[in-house]
Amino acid sequence: MLQHSLLNLVQCLLKQCLIKPIKFMKKYDAPDDFGTKNLIRIMRLSFTFYFISITHAISGYSQSELSIRLNNVELEQVIDEIMNQSEYDFFYSAELFEDVPKVTIDFKKVSLETLLKNILPNNFIFEIREKEVIIKKKPKTLSAVSNEEIETQQIRTISGTITDSEGNPLPGASIFEDGTSNGTVSDFDGKYAIELVNEDAVLKVSFIGFVTSELSVGSSDNMDFSLAVEDSFLNEIVVTALGISREKKSLGYSVTEVSGDNVNTIKDNNLASSLSGKVAGLQVNNSGSLGSGSVITIRGNNSITGNPQALIVVDGMPINASIPITSEGGQTNSGSNLGNNAPSFEPSISGGGISDINPDDVESITVLKGPSAAALYGSRAGNGVILITTKKGSRSDRLGVTIKSNIYLDNPMFLPDFQNQYGQGSSGSAYSDRVNDWGQFSWGASLDGSQQPYFDGSNKAYSAQPNNVENFFRSALRSITSLSIDKGSDAGSIRFSYTNNSSESIVENSDLNSHNFNLRGVANLSDKLTVDAKATYFTQDVKNRASTTGAQGLLTHLFNMPRNVDTEDLRTYQKPNPGSPADFAVIRYADEFVGNPYWMAHHDETRVRRNRFLGFTKINYKFTDWLSAFVRVGADITNVRDNKIYKPGRQNIPLGSLEISESSFGELNSEFLVTAKQDLTEKLNFVANVGGNLSKRTSEGMLVRGTDFKVPTKFFLNNIRNISATEESPLAIKKVSSLYGSINLAYDNFLYIDVASRNDWSSTLSKDNRSYMYNSASVAAVINQFIDPSQEFFNFIKVRASIAQVGNDTDPYQINQTFSVPGNGYLGLTTLGFPNVKLNDNLKAETVTSSEFGIELSMLNNKLTLDVSVYDMSTEDLIFDIPVPAATGFLFSRENIGKVSNKGVEIALGASLIKMNDFSWYTSLFYSKNENTVDELTEGLDSFVYNFSTDNNIFVKATKGGSIGDIYGKIVTGEVDATGAPLASASPTELLGNAQPDWLGGWSNTIRYKDFSMSFLIDARMGGQVYSQTSADLDRNGVSERSIQYRDGVTLTGINTGTAAANTESITGQEYWTAMSNISGNYIYDQDNIRLRELSIGYNVPNVSSIGLQSASIQLVGRNLFFLSKSADDIDPEAMLGTSIGVQGMSHNAMPTLRSLGLNLTLNF
Amino acid sequence: MKNIIILLTGLLLVFSISCTEDYDEINDQPDALSVSDVSAKFFVTTLQQKLYRDNVFELWYGRILHSDMFAGHFSGGHSAYAWAGDFAWNYWNALTDGGSWGPYAAYNSTLTSYLNIVGEGGTLENEQYYALGLVMKSLYYHAFTDQFGAIPFSQASDPDIKLPVYDDQIDVYKGIIADLDKAISIIGSNTTTGEGVSLLGENDVIFNGNMQNWKKLANSLKLRIALRAHGSPGEDFSATVASEAIASGVLADTDALLEGYAEETDIWGGSTSYGDVWHTWPTARWKMAEPLVNVLKADNDPRLAIMSEPIKGGSVTVSIVPRDGETDALVQKHLTFLKSTLDDAGLVLDTDYTWTEKADELTITITEGTHYVGLPSRMNGKLQKYFNTDLFSDPAENLTQKVNQGKPVLPSVIMSAGDTHFMIAEAILRGLASGDAASYYQSGLRKAMAHWETISGVSLDESNMAALTGTTEEQLEKIATQRWIANYTNSLEAWAIVRDTGYPSSAVSTSSDDDIISLAGPLNGAYPNRLRYGSGVYNSNQANVEAAVAKQGPDVMATRLWFASE
Repeated sequence: MLQHSLLNLVQCLLKQCLIKPIKFMKKYDAPDDFGTKNLIRIMRLSFTFYFISITHAISGYSQSELSIRLNNVELEQVIDEIMNQSEYDFFYSAELFEDVPKVTIDFKKVSLETLLKNILPNNFIFEIREKEVIIKKKPKTLSAVSNEEIETQQIRTISGTITDSEGNPLPGASIFEDGTSNGTVSDFDGKYAIELVNEDAVLKVSFIGFVTSELSVGSSDNMDFSLAVEDSFLNEIVVTALGISREKKSLGYSVTEVSGDNVNTIKDNNLASSLSGKVAGLQVNNSGSLGSGSVITIRGNNSITGNPQALIVVDGMPINASIPITSEGGQTNSGSNLGNNAPSFEPSISGGGISDINPDDVESITVLKGPSAAALYGSRAGNGVILITTKKGSRSDRLGVTIKSNIYLDNPMFLPDFQNQYGQGSSGSAYSDRVNDWGQFSWGASLDGSQQPYFDGSNKAYSAQPNNVENFFRSALRSITSLSIDKGSDAGSIRFSYTNNSSESIVENSDLNSHNFNLRGVANLSDKLTVDAKATYFTQDVKNRASTTGAQGLLTHLFNMPRNVDTEDLRTYQKPNPGSPADFAVIRYADEFVGNPYWMAHHDETRVRRNRFLGFTKINYKFTDWLSAFVRVGADITNVRDNKIYKPGRQNIPLGSLEISESSFGELNSEFLVTAKQDLTEKLNFVANVGGNLSKRTSEGMLVRGTDFKVPTKFFLNNIRNISATEESPLAIKKVSSLYGSINLAYDNFLYIDVASRNDWSSTLSKDNRSYMYNSASVAAVINQFIDPSQEFFNFIKVRASIAQVGNDTDPYQINQTFSVPGNGYLGLTTLGFPNVKLNDNLKAETVTSSEFGIELSMLNNKLTLDVSVYDMSTEDLIFDIPVPAATGFLFSRENIGKVSNKGVEIALGASLIKMNDFSWYTSLFYSKNENTVDELTEGLDSFVYNFSTDNNIFVKATKGGSIGDIYGKIVTGEVDATGAPLASASPTELLGNAQPDWLGGWSNTIRYKDFSMSFLIDARMGGQVYSQTSADLDRNGVSERSIQYRDGVTLTGINTGTAAANTESITGQEYWTAMSNISGNYIYDQDNIRLRELSIGYNVPNVSSIGLQSASIQLVGRNLFFLSKSADDIDPEAMLGTSIGVQGMSHNAMPTLRSLGLNLTLNF
Repeated sequence: MKNIIILLTGLLLVFSISCTEDYDEINDQPDALSVSDVSAKFFVTTLQQKLYRDNVFELWYGRILHSDMFAGHFSGGHSAYAWAGDFAWNYWNALTDGGSWGPYAAYNSTLTSYLNIVGEGGTLENEQYYALGLVMKSLYYHAFTDQFGAIPFSQASDPDIKLPVYDDQIDVYKGIIADLDKAISIIGSNTTTGEGVSLLGENDVIFNGNMQNWKKLANSLKLRIALRAHGSPGEDFSATVASEAIASGVLADTDALLEGYAEETDIWGGSTSYGDVWHTWPTARWKMAEPLVNVLKADNDPRLAIMSEPIKGGSVTVSIVPRDGETDALVQKHLTFLKSTLDDAGLVLDTDYTWTEKADELTITITEGTHYVGLPSRMNGKLQKYFNTDLFSDPAENLTQKVNQGKPVLPSVIMSAGDTHFMIAEAILRGLASGDAASYYQSGLRKAMAHWETISGVSLDESNMAALTGTTEEQLEKIATQRWIANYTNSLEAWAIVRDTGYPSSAVSTSSDDDIISLAGPLNGAYPNRLRYGSGVYNSNQANVEAAVAKQGPDVMATRLWFASE
């Protein structure tokens, strides 16, 4: 339907039937004042004026301050200078200043408005929008116009003043007589006069950036209008690929911009978490504890290769999100079991990437959702791009100093529900004997306070410790303090910022400390030459990040603690002054498989130190007024040192072990971009960009691992008896060179066509496949003037469509088969192993093809805005390690296979609910739904297993016709075994759900009253399933509240397979839950949850100038306050086992989600 | 304008031409070897080690918790964890997947890689290496099929088949025999693999590169397979195969062993030993099983003291107060079972031990460090508290040896010379070969004893070596029992002997009384005759595994395999 109307539009354009000039313009703009050329210019301006009268905020007043001193220059030169000093673009007709005399000016620190008022002749008017200034001649006043129609009527003239809510006059506001083409424009003092055509007229007053006001004409001839400021975002200038700023309305694809305030008000240690619920189609999954990473997925999983992560680009530089080498190798990232039958121990992922960005430095974040938007970023953009623009110094030559202090208190948002009726024991009685009969189960007797054997060797009252899990955690204090200083002048600007993050974990003895230094300078070396440079140094030290996830994490031993164990008693986790090896052994509540959480908090010493340097220099040169170019060189260098010590006596590692790894990553990008802007005809504007990029990515690392400390009280490498592994990963280099170009055509400010093309040459592919090209095209049409020219209902309508392709290469060393030398050999002999993966020198780049269609609407005087996108993305020739059943001599074969598609819809709805002088309420809703389908794998292979849970009860698969992340497991059959215990399906082959949510929603609100403001975000994740291995464990151990059921025994109904008759055998609760906990289908939960994600209440302290401040504000903030609804027991369905696709859909003893309450203080000097 | 365009064009050209020059070079991995750097011998060690000593979970989950238990060599544990009575007997997919199916299914890739590289057209082509590989292949598939039955075999080496069919066990057996014949014929009279870089030598950690020993091992395995297949439905080859093997020459004097490495520590995936499990997870420890201890004891077999520690003994007191849901009668039943276990182990009440029951507790006193008592298999977990750890024998220290103590770790048995002698005796008794069964039996016993002399350096008493007498069935029982003992620590074979022959009958542990022997789980008291397929195959190769199950019988542990069919 919409496509059809778009087609009609194009046809219309071809027939040159375009633009029926609006009558009032014709009426008031006499042809003798303007040449034909000018008329068109002005008309286009008027369009903008009337139908796109929306801007983010009226920011022109007093926002940035300008200082200009020029002698005897044309006005155009003054405007050029203003453009140099500010971000404003100016629009005016070419001949506008022809007859204007030269000026000499000397202004210091004046607002743009003051400046323009002073320099423009008084028959000129101007209008300042967010980033645009429009200048034109004042239309002739009513009195100067004659019109037969008007003359013949009884003319009544209404006049008055149009002001903003503060009483400032609004020049250039449009006054319409509703239902007619009669209209006028207010003068410089906001005054207007209009001669009515009809007697009972309704006057409609609109002005860019303000809410349109309507009033019926009464008896009075004087009508004043006070317009309220409009919050809207359709006329935004957004940063697009390659850092090019574009008007959002001209884009043929979907982008979403999130302002810096939106992510740095309520801070998370990881910037990624702050994007949750704020962008339609964006999903953030977290794993693990303090300092750990997260994965951002945009529009579903495009790839089956296990990395759905969007590309992060900071100030035009793609940043590295590599994972350091550790003992778990690839498992660190994925938690995967594939290719290794050993259960994976200690899966925890470290941060990196976006988590190293200081939220306070963020000016804005643009989310480029599909390949269409991102095609110019090439290979890595298939999953979408998060563009982060950081702050520059202001152009004001006043020294700006801002101090922000954020203090948060974190506590677990919720914990599983535990039972408090039965204690440590088995078969309904307490364990009797600490040697022969002792275990971790809480299948004991009723907690009656009687004296029973206790793990520490004493006898102790057998009574419940209801808060023993909760007591383990502490309230963690996080303090984030930042200071920024900026200053500007004609010659440029500079900004320095420093942020310190000092965060405690809710697990004691674990904390994070980071320092972020950031220096940004812009130097205007001449009229033509600008240099912009930035250097960021980031250093982070994470101490004892608790290994929480999985079967061997700290929380396993905490959650499953018997219900009568007092946590405090576990603080004695080792004998004092241990002598013999036995003395060193950890003291815990049960056997060798169990650990002591306090031991793990204090004796498992991990330390991850990361240093990162990010920087770039950009040299911008403006050859002529239509041609400019820049060259940018940037680097992202990260060093990670990871120490891990398990002290002697630990569970599973009685001799202790040590692991030290050092990794470094580098990414160097050199690029250039040449931009040409030309007006081909009056209506047809043209912008062309041609650029190239050389990207060099490096990684290298060393790892050494050993066990058995010679002297068991000091922990360093030389004290290790057995070095069990030393690994070196020599410098690996990947280079990608690219050339790209784009052409943007704008026709008459209503039709926009973009085409872009990029060719990459990747060093990771063979000569024949090295070069690959991809293209994109998009079209946008602003069509409201055809549908609702008088803005009865619609203020803005844009339809857009795009199609794009992105190619995706691979990692280094993926094409030539080699053999690795195992570290140890066997019996002292050199042994060589065979690689598991059959490599493929014919590997070619993956291709992501996407098409997208969208519509953007603004209606009801811009009170309501709607942005809808539908998209269809498919990825072909996926580079994937297909699990081959060993037949090839390998476990996996790396091939280009299959096709995965994602189809979805995204809706963003914004509404200005209340708009009064002192009170406003703006609300917005996001909805995104994505459907993922595995269309094709490879011949002879209809499905494969990504991963299976450590208990082997769950398989996460991709199946042809299914979706990525389908969860398969066992269900109860309804039959029981000879003892009466429930039986499960023979194999985990039942489809239990899918790890990907059906839809995501967000509802954010901003309410302002005078100096107070409140905002809150409620977000929802609906559909999709997760396997809670946490719950299964809790039930197996008899600690969950559920496990109270059947303590007195149960006789299940169903056929007893022992007798082949109806069951009569009774089983105990322990037997029941032991059986049930191994049947994964019992622990599949919907991911459905709705939570109050963020809440802030702020107060701008007024009149602070008396104490030397520019402004001061204070905010109370909260994060993850509560669930409005949640389906899963025990777990937060968003806390997954890891970040790769293979472990989505599984949750196992993840760190509790944190509820943060905090206080922000911002002082501007 | 023109200048700008020229400049731009020039820039682009320079850019696009200059930048891909070093791409091949930087994509050449510096820390890996290519084919030109390596010799085939380095892969032989990996091939051998991966099948027998690769992964702690294969040893622990796969052998200790499955075949060692099912064979009646080891039993239970003494912690709540390893004591869940039914534990391995009650199917638990993590154990089977991680310890048995997983490593065996994965080994095929190591094997195929090796065969591809040394086989015809391979980059390191060498016939003798290939023959060695065929023997390893046969050892592997034999152990694999005897655990699961039908497995992918004929299509498992075809690189073009992603989802191989499962071959019936009889076809796997025939295929193995064909591979062994091929290996035997390739080896012929060769003694080495070649010269220079092709000389295998010490990298063959089984035979030090002696190809004639490989030929003997191939013949021994042929004989083993012939005997296992003998009498099974549709089998028509056992007589030919057995007589061919014996004629060509089996391992008569040399044991095929894989040495252990006393300093090995990388239990997660490098190489592993029983001691790794024993000392890393003390609660996973196990006891000598009642069948093995009692058989050795009945024969006064000197190997008992080499394989087993005496019990700790001393005075043991346990509560006999009934727990929730228990009756006095049940407690008495449990106590009676405990007492009969001690009696069955040959302990004499009031001579070797005292038994004192009071109202709420029982005290047993046994001489310290003297007696050997095996723990009954698959007991109900409720019996745990009565079956005190001090009353039952641990395996000897030569098995549980902690690494890094300078002491050798027990080698992995692949094929012992003792067993080959017993097998010839069995072949003669079954009419598959001619000769004097009794003398092969005697020489087998001597070899089986010598195995321990060689390993432990002790002198064994051969005085009570039994004669092979009685009915043919009784003789077969004796041979089977000795083979079962000779395959101690090679329990995949020992368990197969029990399933094939039904001997020793005490090892065929079944149950109908849940109070004593756990009935829990799908096995429902039956003897485990196979292991269940890995859970993963139902997700990756479902159609083929289901076809196999349809033919072979339900994918449960009770389903009898072809070779063990009545």
